[in-house]
Amino acid sequence: MLQANYFDGHSTRVRAVNLSVVGEDLVISGEDIELRVPFADVKVDERLGRAPRRLRLKDGSFCEVRDLDALNALLSSTAHRDGWVDRMQRHLQFVLFSCVACLVFAVAAYKWGLPWAAAQVAQHLPPEIGKTLSVQALKILDGGILMPSKIAAERQQVLSAEFRALRLPEGGTPDSALLFRGSPQLGGNAFTLPDGTIVVLDDLITSIDDDQQTLAVLAHELGHAHGRHGLQLLLQSSAVGAFWAFYIGDISHLLAAAPAAVVQARYSQDLEQQADDYAAALLMHNGMSPALLADALKKLAKCRPACANEGYLSTHPSTDERMRRLRLLAASFTAK
Amino acid sequence: MENVSGIDSPSQASSARAPEQLRFTGSGAEYFGIWIVNLLLTIVTVGIYSAWAKVRRLQYFYRHTELAGSSFDFHGSPIKILIGRVIALVMLFAYNFSVRLHSPLTIVVVVGLAVAIPWLLRNSFRFRLYNSSWRGTRFHFRGSVATSYRVFLLNGFLTLITLYVMAPFMHQRLKAYQHGNSWFGRTRFSFHARAGQFYQIYLLLLAAIVAFVIVISEAGIGGAFTALFQMQKQGGRVDPHTVIKILFILYGALILLGILIGPIFHALITNLIWNNTRLGEHRIECNMSPFVLIWITFSNLVLVVLTLGLFIPWAGVRLARFQLEAMRLLPASDLQEFVAAEPEAIGAVGEETASMFDFDISL
Repeated sequence: MLQANYFDGHSTRVRAVNLSVVGEDLVISGEDIELRVPFADVKVDERLGRAPRRLRLKDGSFCEVRDLDALNALLSSTAHRDGWVDRMQRHLQFVLFSCVACLVFAVAAYKWGLPWAAAQVAQHLPPEIGKTLSVQALKILDGGILMPSKIAAERQQVLSAEFRALRLPEGGTPDSALLFRGSPQLGGNAFTLPDGTIVVLDDLITSIDDDQQTLAVLAHELGHAHGRHGLQLLLQSSAVGAFWAFYIGDISHLLAAAPAAVVQARYSQDLEQQADDYAAALLMHNGMSPALLADALKKLAKCRPACANEGYLSTHPSTDERMRRLRLLAASFTAK
Repeated sequence: MENVSGIDSPSQASSARAPEQLRFTGSGAEYFGIWIVNLLLTIVTVGIYSAWAKVRRLQYFYRHTELAGSSFDFHGSPIKILIGRVIALVMLFAYNFSVRLHSPLTIVVVVGLAVAIPWLLRNSFRFRLYNSSWRGTRFHFRGSVATSYRVFLLNGFLTLITLYVMAPFMHQRLKAYQHGNSWFGRTRFSFHARAGQFYQIYLLLLAAIVAFVIVISEAGIGGAFTALFQMQKQGGRVDPHTVIKILFILYGALILLGILIGPIFHALITNLIWNNTRLGEHRIECNMSPFVLIWITFSNLVLVVLTLGLFIPWAGVRLARFQLEAMRLLPASDLQEFVAAEPEAIGAVGEETASMFDFDISL
């Protein structure tokens, strides 16, 4: 005998009933009700914690059962079997496994999945989007942190001409625009906008003070432009922002804006290496040694304390390792 | 005894019956197993299982919610929810993509959305209510599409052009539309809160924000900003550390603002809405403490972040228990006498689209 409440599905009237299984049938008996239905026609709710379970009949009526242990005893005498998800949810080892698996997945998605997805999207996004983003970004930067360049116009022209004359490893010449700007805050730095436009700052040109080496740095930036790294990074950080908004949003919409500021744009080691490799290939293609880039990095590293707080290298981790790789490439270049 | 408000004292008929308290019987530990397994299944199936996970989550919360010894139930079909999600996702992509393009197409898409949203929200109400039941009797939403356009589009437009002066009015109309057109079986809900009462709470909120901003600027952020602007004007170098410090103070202040004022507003407005909603002759009472809600929201947020999200099930259960147990039904007659209405056929497109675009319809 199992006590339950019977509802007819047409009204909120509660009828106390007793449930029992007789042969293949479910028997419901109580105040002015006496039902006998084949158990095969009864749909039993899956277990959800200690929530009451319902035995649903075909006509929309049901019995609400609170004594879950007694219900299990009753069900064990029938052909009813718990669903596989139901069993997993109550299996301690599987719950722990799920925990670990979800955490591993989250870390992997952040570390590899996100950059990969961002790279894919960056490769396939129409160029107009990168263009629009870059124009707007430059407008904001020019209105604040960037100032007109103080480098002499003739020197700018010489550098631009040399830059234009570079032959790309994949054929053709650079179609990236080259802009000169000054910025006391950013110091010796150069960066690539999402559409491939390269901005080189005065402090970088003066602290390297060697046009060949400056060209090597520009070649490195062309590597970022070629790989569309700027766009990738932008997508990545906005995806992180969107994810946090969604993730935290369930509880409150507060932290949505904060991570975008915290997870600031930094190229990964991997992207830097790609850009270095591209630069090395480009330099060799133009009969120049990859050592030029290594020398430029060395100079930037040396003047770093004097070159303002946030220099070119602060966004480029592990300079020693990069210089070692470049010198190795240079050695193979001179050997030829 | 003098009756001041006229609303707050129950009539003789209803005071004869004992109030029925809503109860929530779920537990965080119990829900954790369900949540994490469904999360894993969602990941493994690249999101497809999320529709089943959603149904299970809603069923967990509905079935653990009790009124007068019987629990609620959720009947939504995972397949319908999945279809709704696919459509919502396509719309979301179209929207995001066109907004970024800044082409004439953007206007078309935005106008299209503006036209679709009232209809979608109305469908969302319909889906959610129709799939909710108590004692085998379903809820219904019967608001018309025409009214949804007036409530969302026209009032939304009025709110915008009056610079949000009409926001409380719009909120009141929205709740009147939502609650006034809801049914339980063949019994209709009614909504009695006036726009003036919404204005009172909004003004209180505004006063609190102003007070908060004054306190924050006294606390030094204003001085820091002035210093920053002066440095910039003089063309001098701005110390990046100062900038970062200011950003942290600013974000901290925003988070604090949300943690303090968000819950106070939510509690006050929820109390107002439910205290002025009736089901037929039956009255509803909601008495949510703003201060307890602040504590729950804040501690939930901290624990969710510290546990990398693993606290989410406990956070959800805590919040649900607090919010549900603040509510009571004051029956005017026997609760056995509700009669169910005819079945309906309702898709989940509205529900999923509305939640994708993140409209909060719970208030």
